[in-house]
Amino acid sequence: MAESGAQLFARLEPRRSLKHIEPRLFPDDGGPDHGEVVELHGTEGTGKTELLYHLLCRCVLPAAAGGLETDVVFVDTDYSLDILRLVSILDSRLSAAGGLEEAELRSCLSRLLVVHCSSSSQLLLTLHFLETAFSSRPSLSLLLIDSISAFYWLDRCEGGASVSKQEEKLSKCSELLGRLLRDYRITVFATSHAIRRSYRSPDAPGSSSSSSSSSCSSSEGERPYLCRSWQRLVTHRLLCCRAEAGGNMAAAAGGGNKEQRRRQVFSVHCTSSSSSSSSSSSSSSRLKAYRSSSFYVTDGGVVFI
Amino acid sequence: TMILRDGMCPGLDEELVRELRAADIKTVEDLVSSDVEEVAQKCSVSYKALLAVRRVLLAQHTAFPVSGADLYEELLSSTAILSTGNPSLDKLLDSGVYTGEITELSGGPGSGKSQVCFGVAVHISHHLKQRVMYVDTTGGLSASRLLQMLQAESSNVEEQMEALQRIHIFHAFDIFSLLSYLYSLPATIQQVCVSVGGGSVKAVIVDSVSAIISPILGGKQNEGMSLMIQVAGVLRRIAKDFNVAALVTNHVTRGGGGGGGEVQAGLGLSWSHVPRTRILLERTESAGTGHCSVRSATLIKSSRQPCHIKEQFDLQWWSTSKEGSAAKRKLDDSDSR
Repeated sequence: MAESGAQLFARLEPRRSLKHIEPRLFPDDGGPDHGEVVELHGTEGTGKTELLYHLLCRCVLPAAAGGLETDVVFVDTDYSLDILRLVSILDSRLSAAGGLEEAELRSCLSRLLVVHCSSSSQLLLTLHFLETAFSSRPSLSLLLIDSISAFYWLDRCEGGASVSKQEEKLSKCSELLGRLLRDYRITVFATSHAIRRSYRSPDAPGSSSSSSSSSCSSSEGERPYLCRSWQRLVTHRLLCCRAEAGGNMAAAAGGGNKEQRRRQVFSVHCTSSSSSSSSSSSSSSRLKAYRSSSFYVTDGGVVFI
Repeated sequence: TMILRDGMCPGLDEELVRELRAADIKTVEDLVSSDVEEVAQKCSVSYKALLAVRRVLLAQHTAFPVSGADLYEELLSSTAILSTGNPSLDKLLDSGVYTGEITELSGGPGSGKSQVCFGVAVHISHHLKQRVMYVDTTGGLSASRLLQMLQAESSNVEEQMEALQRIHIFHAFDIFSLLSYLYSLPATIQQVCVSVGGGSVKAVIVDSVSAIISPILGGKQNEGMSLMIQVAGVLRRIAKDFNVAALVTNHVTRGGGGGGGEVQAGLGLSWSHVPRTRILLERTESAGTGHCSVRSATLIKSSRQPCHIKEQFDLQWWSTSKEGSAAKRKLDDSDSR
């Protein structure tokens, strides 16, 4: 398709790299760079949303408050974005950096663009529509999708017996994302919900990580179920889970239930197959790197341990 | 999926639709994803004209981005917190059920889920003078119970009747009637707004959501899962778009291998993400076998409060006269310590 000079400029204008968005989460020097995709995966109650808000806040906060001052598009497919929660995290980060002015909060929030989608067709069309935003706003460097798995069951049902038909829409979205990642050098963060119960306890339909045993080490939730073309895009996979209940931190806080939840520890295991600049030519054998981290959640957001 | 039809947008006439179809472009998605230049050549239509059609279709079907600042502004002016009428539950919920989101009550049989729903409905209609859309899926809703609760609130028969009229009851006994009701709710909500009696719709209650969904899960799962996700989607959209509080009830299962594990909300992993806030209702152990109406409520999912805080409350609360309620409240407080 033809391209105007302004579009070309926006495309080539260096976008903010998010490589250092959260060094405690990614392997050394292995943060998500231009054109890379981070998937956050986990069951309900494993800290995914808090982690996502943490990363989002880091992007939109001013440099003075430790932020990257970059614009973000938030594609909300689950109608789950909790602006009030986001604001309370921003509030606490801003006031920690000295003084909180209403105007500052507003400027953080205006770096955020929100889109609600309610089907995979609409997601596809919206991503096409967003291309103009990417081409006209070089300050947009992050695309968040919460969640990429939202339409999985709807598409499976609508696709009938044919697997390729079931996966058609998400494949198309993934192909388009691939092009946007290349052309505009943005970074994508997406959550995916665990949707299958562990095979080890087939008689527990509600089985989730909230059971007392830690599920992170097991195979639960690790098997990707989304289409191949999405899997191929993902360069960093963050597997979220609750740390063993009754672990040191939780047990140490003996003073009542309230204290216990404050000390609920979440762990994240990052598997990064990010190609460092030298190995980009040999992408067939991408080097894997790992990093584990833990955090707990306070009123002011995520605190790493 | 949106099939291309003539008249869908200016410039998309019957002939163009036919030519596009011949080029294997049948849907809006196909056209938007295609290489316009290539298609223009194939269909012997001008590149500019096709580009214009693509642009209009995209604008018609896309979701538009909204600035976070505007969203926050809107939320501040529109979000309401509806008291449940019960101080202990309000404490767990950080003052009440919030509009714009789904709150779930989970619990086993006899844990008081329905009683709480009745109480919340009565409180919203009588005290807050707002309307409630009440979906009963089990046949458990009885008008006489509602009236009994209202009689405890007011001795004025006219007031009781007005409050009853603000509770709109729908009985759904299968997933399709539930879905078609929910899909028609936006229109109903707008109609109800202008009808007599005052008040706007502030809450949608579905008691119970699991009674309708769990029978369709299992077996060949795709369709059941898809229908469940549709229920979740339409409830969330109504909650957000019409700024109402959605309150649903769910059953519980025992997780962890042999069924001896921790109590968990029903309907499985995919549903577990749906409600923003979840409360577990249980009979209290001390209550013994008598028909004691004291229940415990534990917050098990929340974005506002620490989880696992627990309160005890009496299901009779809503049906007792609130005269001298100060003393009663004190009693409840000391119980929960």
